[in-house]
Amino acid sequence: MLQIGPSIDFGPIHYWIESNNCILVGYTSGKETHSMHTWSNPHRAVRAVTGLALAGLFLTGCTANDTSNIADTGDPVSGGTLTYASGDAEPSCLDPHVGGNFPQGMIAAQYLESLVSRNSAGQIIPWLAESWTPSPDGLTWDFTLRGDVSFTDGTVFDAAAVQANIAHLRNPTTLSSTGYLALGKVASTEVVSPTVVRFIMTEPDSALLESLSQVWLAMESPAALERSQDENCVAPVGTGPFIVDSWVKQSAITLVRNDDYVSPPADADHSGPAYLDQVIWRFIPDSASRYAALQAGQVDVIDNAQPDTIVQATQSDSIEHLDSPRPGSSNRIELNSGKAPFNDVRVREAFIRSANVDDAVSSLFQGTATRSYSALSSVESTAVSDPTLFGYDPSAAAELLDAAGWGETDADGYRVKDGVRLSVQFPVSTNQSIPAEQSVFEQIQATAKETGFEVKLAPLDLSSWYAALATNDYDAVSAPYTKVGPDVLRILYHSDSIVPAPSGYFANLAQVNDPQIDELLTTAASTTDVAERTSLYADAQNRILAGFYILPLYDQQNHYLLRSDVVGLRTLPTVAVPTLYDAWLNR
Amino acid sequence: MVEPVTPANRRRDGLARPVFRALGRLGARLAGAIFVLWAVASITFFAVRLIPGDPAQAVLGGPGSQASPEALAAVSAEYGFDQPVFTQYLTQLGRLATGDLGRSYSLNMDVGPLVLDQLGGTLLLAVLALSLAWVIALALATWSTRGGLVAARVGSSLEIVAAALPHFWLATSLIVVFSIWIGVLPPISTDSLAGLVLPVLTLAVPLAGFLGQIMRESLLIALESPFVLSARARGESERGVRWVHALRHASLPAISLSGWAFGSLISGAVVVETIFARPGLGRTLLNAVTLRDVPVVIGVVMIVAVAYILMTLLTDAVSRLVDPRLRLS
Repeated sequence: MLQIGPSIDFGPIHYWIESNNCILVGYTSGKETHSMHTWSNPHRAVRAVTGLALAGLFLTGCTANDTSNIADTGDPVSGGTLTYASGDAEPSCLDPHVGGNFPQGMIAAQYLESLVSRNSAGQIIPWLAESWTPSPDGLTWDFTLRGDVSFTDGTVFDAAAVQANIAHLRNPTTLSSTGYLALGKVASTEVVSPTVVRFIMTEPDSALLESLSQVWLAMESPAALERSQDENCVAPVGTGPFIVDSWVKQSAITLVRNDDYVSPPADADHSGPAYLDQVIWRFIPDSASRYAALQAGQVDVIDNAQPDTIVQATQSDSIEHLDSPRPGSSNRIELNSGKAPFNDVRVREAFIRSANVDDAVSSLFQGTATRSYSALSSVESTAVSDPTLFGYDPSAAAELLDAAGWGETDADGYRVKDGVRLSVQFPVSTNQSIPAEQSVFEQIQATAKETGFEVKLAPLDLSSWYAALATNDYDAVSAPYTKVGPDVLRILYHSDSIVPAPSGYFANLAQVNDPQIDELLTTAASTTDVAERTSLYADAQNRILAGFYILPLYDQQNHYLLRSDVVGLRTLPTVAVPTLYDAWLNR
Repeated sequence: MVEPVTPANRRRDGLARPVFRALGRLGARLAGAIFVLWAVASITFFAVRLIPGDPAQAVLGGPGSQASPEALAAVSAEYGFDQPVFTQYLTQLGRLATGDLGRSYSLNMDVGPLVLDQLGGTLLLAVLALSLAWVIALALATWSTRGGLVAARVGSSLEIVAAALPHFWLATSLIVVFSIWIGVLPPISTDSLAGLVLPVLTLAVPLAGFLGQIMRESLLIALESPFVLSARARGESERGVRWVHALRHASLPAISLSGWAFGSLISGAVVVETIFARPGLGRTLLNAVTLRDVPVVIGVVMIVAVAYILMTLLTDAVSRLVDPRLRLS
């Protein structure tokens, strides 16, 4: 809320200027320009322009200075406030057990921690659990927990706390989606000793550790979970490096440092408490104003950076770029093999061959996205990539259509069979597809038209988009899925996932119904031997790619831009959410 | 016996009639206001319902999360999505009648406090923008009607350009100029006054262009009216003629338009609050529409309708104050 006192308080402006020396210089040398009406006076306008030019000179000098600082960042310094600006929608609940989406995960990673994590090589590493042992049959897992960790409300982190968290995730009234699904094969948990918790499985689950590494399954204080959901949503209590201090809805979330912090993941850069005193987490939905706020130094980090701002930022010396693709699936167009025309593999291949994706991606993403030829994200070590299947080849596409009986062409140049035009209904979620991606779809529409496909792009809001999928009213769709590890393949391509939930939603949008793929994915999901599991997932992926069910585009884009004086910011290699634990301000 | 007509009881009669008239007018206004509120609630309810899709999915959804059947069932039961639409409508209307705006699907809190919380920021923005628009419009109108042909041309061109500026373009341009180039104002909102400048300017400039056009036109008409001539003949100063007589006359259409302008400011707040990341009703409304959060959409629209009705009453009262003719009728 805004509060205007009886006297005009210019304090915060001063603070804002102080927070960035470069702007301070610009302000003082250009101060003739700061009031509106001076522009109506030509004489003053000249002075103003001179002032601006001077400001520009000083700004240049200042940024050069910044660059020299980067080369020698020195020892980390404690203190300061970092302002993070997110482009995502403000979560309705700060407890990622409830629902469980990416915006929740991003902020929750600052105050909640998981049993295990994953390093950048893709290996599972200790976090709140020091070690773990599966039984030979894979039906029980014993986790040995750290004995020195407490939640920030003083509650001890122990086996009973883990049990309470799993129970919370599985309780229908929690309304957990992501966490709930990840625990599908867990039958129950057992407290073996205060520091050992046992997971009892209904069947072996080779994805258990990957599932538990996700922030949506992070550990919260059982005492805090006892509160009403409303209370817990506003201020969840974890073991993390920061504590939720306050949340002014639609304005900002304030996090303060946890001074008693002892439990960084095994791949962190330092131990002990975080460097930052405080984190202000804001939501700036407009991409241009988010970037403007970063340029002006009003915020220190922004997420959801768009291709145009990334290109601008790479030309700036005071802004750094962090590219961290999300795990799980790649961004790909799924072709609905459950109905005509894509129930014919030749038509699917023809569509894929008719789409000039490479040119579209390189021109519209301006080099910020790399073309993918895989069903999985490039951060997944088990990903199989096959560029030969996805080359642009309009003449091959035309031959395939001829062979499939779509030989005739109507007056508008579209292929026809039995009087029916070769139409592809393509609902596009404007919430999930960024503008550059929507333009890629338009490019695909244009190139596929040359071969005779009529691609009907329908931009829809999220609810209408879900509705179009639920009523099977689509032939092509792009729906990325974030999950740690290759088990995402089972969710996306096992025929079980064609069965809709009560809402009508199902994850297997390509409607792949191949007993051999089912068999491979089911076996892989219970195979704990790494080499064997990798090979099973490779076979499954090869079969999915060769069946032309999907047209991979690029990884799920996840770009951050930060002020150059923010040092040590990284993303967790689990779900690629940022962590501010190692971050410090070099100013 | 016939009571003689005395000045005292004549005054009594004379008093009673205006009081009744005023009460009658108030009653009609009140009935009209209630009708407007009912219509607004109903239209909004069905308009939001017309969007296809399962609201339960929207409650739990958001990109990257797939709701479990159990969670969806729980949500449907909790929010009454499993009821027929008309039942949901009646329930909603019944709640509204008792002043209960319901509970937000997406924000996990009661709509009443939520909307009231956001109202202050938007009202402040709208009132400041309206005031600034008036100041700019008055200045432009008086300057351009006095400064000869060139001033008139410049004035009217400025007004037309200003009135045609889209909010999102103006906001982005102001950010580029004042935050990036000059660096004197924060691009996104802060709790300080500095954070208010750009949002208020964004809303005020197009409105000032609009009000200015109307004011200048009626000012020109007023300046050529007989009463101005007679005021001049009485020997009043040019300033007195302009500010006391002509402008008072010329401001009437602008005053009655201010009620409408206030409504347009609140719709402009949707754009401005999103771009400048300000908390407020506009941003709340936008989020709620995207998430199909029916109670919040209805809550915001109801509050805006109430504000609109109050503003219309206020402009009516001000018009009566400025124009004695309205008080006589």
